[in-house]
Amino acid sequence: MAPARLGLAPPETGRAAGSPRPSRRPDRATILADFGPLGALVLLCILFAFLSPQFATWGNVRNVLDSASVLAVIAVGLTFVLLLGAIDLSIEGVMATAALSVALLVANSRNDLDFGFMGVLAAVAIGAGFGLASGLLSTGLKIPSFMTTLGMSAIGIGIATVLFGGVQPALRSPELAEWASGQWFGLTRLTYVAVAVVLIGLLVQRYTRLGRYARAIGGAEELALLSGIPVRRYKTLAFTFAGATYGLAGVMVTTQLGSGIVQAGVGQNFAAITAAVVGGTLLSGGRGGVLHSIVGVLIVTVLVNGLVLIGVSPYVQGAVQGVIVVAAVVITAWPLRKRLRVVK
Amino acid sequence: MSVTDKTGAFSRLGDAPRLTQSARRQLLLTVMPMVVLAALVAAIAIANPNFLRASSVWTVLDSAVPLMILASGAMLVILVGGIDLSVASLASMASVLVALWIPALGGWAVPVVIIVCALAGLLQGAIHVVAQVPSFLVTLGGLAVWSGVALLASGASTIPVSGTTLDWTFTRIGAWNVPSAVLIAAALVTVFALVLAFTPVRRWLISIGSSEPAALMAGAPVTQTKIAAFVVSAACAGFAGIMLVGRTYSGAPTLADSLLLPVVAAIVVGGTAITGGFGGIGRTVVGVLIITVLRVGLSVAGVDSSYEQIFYGVLVIAAVAMTIDRSKLPFVK
Repeated sequence: MAPARLGLAPPETGRAAGSPRPSRRPDRATILADFGPLGALVLLCILFAFLSPQFATWGNVRNVLDSASVLAVIAVGLTFVLLLGAIDLSIEGVMATAALSVALLVANSRNDLDFGFMGVLAAVAIGAGFGLASGLLSTGLKIPSFMTTLGMSAIGIGIATVLFGGVQPALRSPELAEWASGQWFGLTRLTYVAVAVVLIGLLVQRYTRLGRYARAIGGAEELALLSGIPVRRYKTLAFTFAGATYGLAGVMVTTQLGSGIVQAGVGQNFAAITAAVVGGTLLSGGRGGVLHSIVGVLIVTVLVNGLVLIGVSPYVQGAVQGVIVVAAVVITAWPLRKRLRVVK
Repeated sequence: MSVTDKTGAFSRLGDAPRLTQSARRQLLLTVMPMVVLAALVAAIAIANPNFLRASSVWTVLDSAVPLMILASGAMLVILVGGIDLSVASLASMASVLVALWIPALGGWAVPVVIIVCALAGLLQGAIHVVAQVPSFLVTLGGLAVWSGVALLASGASTIPVSGTTLDWTFTRIGAWNVPSAVLIAAALVTVFALVLAFTPVRRWLISIGSSEPAALMAGAPVTQTKIAAFVVSAACAGFAGIMLVGRTYSGAPTLADSLLLPVVAAIVVGGTAITGGFGGIGRTVVGVLIITVLRVGLSVAGVDSSYEQIFYGVLVIAAVAMTIDRSKLPFVK
C-alpha cells in the first residue's frame, strides 16, 4: 500500500495543477496553492470579526497566538515528514512519553530528581529517539509509515501510562512555570519558543540537505535514489527531527498544565495533519513547507477560537477538522483523478 | 505467435524461483498464526490448568466477540488493499446512538443504528473511490467526525441503558452455558465464510487487492466491491458497538476507541497482508483468538495492564513487518 502516494500518476501530476497543460496553468495553480490558504486565513478572520465582537480584540489575538504555539512546533516537524510523502501518526504517543518524562525529570511531586533544563533536553531527546525508531522501522523493514507510526504511538502511550503509574506528577519547578506564564512584550514565552522553532524549521528547510532532499524525495523518490541521494538516511533523519519537535511540544504542554499527563497530546495529531494539509503541504509529498504549515496552524487555531466565540460546542471541533482535512485533500486531489489510478 | 512463445518461456523461467518464494511465504502466513495460537494456549494451560475448563474457555471466547465482529468487517477493507481506521470510533458512536434511541425505538434501534453506520461507511467508501483519496486518510477524517458526532450526541457523558432490550447480546444459553454473543459471532463468521466461499466476492476482493488495474481490465466490479467493503466494515463496527452496550449497560463516546489497534493487530497477526490481496475470514478468527489469548496470558503472567498498549504497538509493527508483501511496493512512504 502506498498511502497518499499518487500511484501510477506520472511525476508531473505531483502538483495541484493536474495533467500537463499550457504553461500558464501550473503557475496559476502554484500561486493558488501558495496564497490560497493565506487568503482563507484573512477571510476567516474577517468573518469571525463580524460574527463576534470579542474576536478582533488584542486579548483574543494573544489567546490565538498562545494556543497556536504548541501546534506550530508540532507542525514544523510534521512538515518534513509530509514533504517526504510519508505520514506521522505517532504524535500523541511521543508527546505523552515526553510529557511524563519531563514531569518526572525536573523538580516534581513524585521523586527527588531535579535536572532542570537538562530534563527538558532529555525529553526532547526521547522524542527524537521515537522519531529515529519510526524512521528506522519504516526504511529498514520497509513498512508504510502510517503503520509504523501508529504502532509507535501505542508504544509511546503505553510507556507514558507505565511512567504515570496512577499518580500524577505535578511540576514543582518555578523557573519552568515561568516559561509558561511569564510574558515578553505581552506574549507568553512559549510563543517565542514556537517562533524560534519555526525559524529553525525554515532554516533547515532552506539551507540544509535535510530540507532540500526531503522535498526531492517527496517529489520523485526514484529520481532522488537514481541521483545518488542517500534516501533512507534522510528519511530517517526527517522522522528524527519531527520526533524532537513532538518531544518539545510535549514539554510545552506539560509546562502549561503544570503536571505530566498521558493525554498531553490528545487531538494534536489530527490537528497538525489538518493544519499542514489546509496550509498547502500536500500529503503526496514534495509540495509545501514550514511556512505553509504555519499558515495552516493559524487557520486551524482561528477556526477553533472563532467557533468557540460564536458559541459552537467544543465537541464539534474534532469533527470540523475531520471534515476540513478530507475536503482539502479531495479538492487538491480532484484534478488528478484517473480511471486507472490506484489509490489504496 | 513466436513472440508469445518467447514471453511465455521467459516468464516461466523468470517466475520459477519467485513462485517458490511466494508459495513459501503463503505457507508461512498460513501455518505461523496457528502455531503461535497453539503455543500460546499450551503455555497458558501449563501455567494455569484451569484455563482449559469449559467455563473459562467460554469466558475467553465471550470477551473476544466485539473484537471478532470489528475485525471481520475491517478485514475486507484490508483485503482490497485499503485500511479502515474509523471502525473503533464508529463502534463508539453506535453505542451512544443505540443507548439514546432504545427508549424511543425499542428493539428497532439495533437495525437502525447498523444502517446509520453502514451509511457512514458508504460515505467513506464513496469519497475514497470517487475522489480517489487514500483510504487511511478518509477513515482518519471519519474517525474524527464520528467521535465528534458521538461526543455531541451524548454530551460527552455515559448514557445508561435500562430494560431488557439488549439482553440477547449478553446471556448464557442451554445446558452448556454457551454465551449468546459467541453464537452470534460464530453465525456472523459463518455468513462471511459462506459468502466468500460460494460467491465471486472473494475473487473480486483478492484480485482488487492483488492488482487493481488488472481487476478493472478483467471486468471485476472494482468500484462497487471497494465501496461494499467499507459499508460492511462500518456495519460490523456498528454491530460491535451494540454488542458492547449489551455488556456495559451503557453507551459512551469513547467506549470502543481503544479497540482500533487490537483490531488491526488481530487482522495482520492472523496472516492477512496489509498490502492486500491475501487473507480471509479464517485467518482473522485465528488472529482474534491470538490477541485475546495473549491478553489473558499477560494477566496470567502478572503483567500490568498498562503495558498492554506497548505490547499492541510492538505486535502490530512486528506482524506487519512479517506479513507485508514488499514486491508490491516500489517505494515505501
